[in-house]
Amino acid sequence: MGKKVLIIDDSSTMRKIVTRSLRQAGLDFDTILEAGDGVEALQLLQNEKVDLILSDINMPNMDGIEFLRQKAGIDAIKGIPVIMITTEAGADILTEAKSLGAAGNIKKPFTPDQISEIIGPLV
Amino acid sequence: MNWEPNIIAATTEIFSTMLMMEVVPEPALSERVTKHNDSISGIIGLAGSYKGMLAIHAPAPVAMTITTNFLGMEVDSLNDDVKDAFGELANMLGGSVKSGLSENSRDIQLSIPSAVCGEEYTLDYQPKNRTTSVPFKTGEGTFVVELQLEKQE
Repeated sequence: MGKKVLIIDDSSTMRKIVTRSLRQAGLDFDTILEAGDGVEALQLLQNEKVDLILSDINMPNMDGIEFLRQKAGIDAIKGIPVIMITTEAGADILTEAKSLGAAGNIKKPFTPDQISEIIGPLV
Repeated sequence: MNWEPNIIAATTEIFSTMLMMEVVPEPALSERVTKHNDSISGIIGLAGSYKGMLAIHAPAPVAMTITTNFLGMEVDSLNDDVKDAFGELANMLGGSVKSGLSENSRDIQLSIPSAVCGEEYTLDYQPKNRTTSVPFKTGEGTFVVELQLEKQE
């Protein structure tokens, strides 16, 4: 069965760019799912099994930190690795994300090489 | 504090890394530009130990070229793709500037970015705040990155 990735970002531009960068990095997922915020992502994850989640932090409705917090309390999805893709480069925020289970982070702006280096080992 | 180097560093890095576009900074504007014609502005607010906003303003032809490079697809009007792209550019610029203002970034919060466009509009956030506006030249024309900041006591 092919690999699935979920991209969570309120910007459709950024979702397109992350999708393009995954391809440019040679990380060809069979299915790329998208959600506009943490609420949409949690709803989608009730019906979809994914291998990896790439999430922004600064989003309306439910931000990336709250998404991590809620995901950690749901047995069916708490083991899915999450990489934060964000402009929020502050050490405190990234430490909090890590304490809530984030497997790593990619700072915007990024290159396909950086995507490959961080995501490659997880897939 | 002089914000010009922060604006130039953030803008040139974002454009070279994610849009593959060379942009050339020009001397900062001596006066604020509040009226815009046939343009788009991506805007993000900052709150906390610094209060203010960052905006990127571009005339329509420049905005369409920037969005085409950003998304890798042709755009021929100031449509939703252009608005979303300019919101995201403001978001990345705001995040970069925020990193330069605060080591842990926790004491400054970014708003959700937005974009406005139209044939004629005025943007005048906090006229008393100190403003730094830096124009950047592209092959298609010039866009401006504006930062208004006030340190909170």
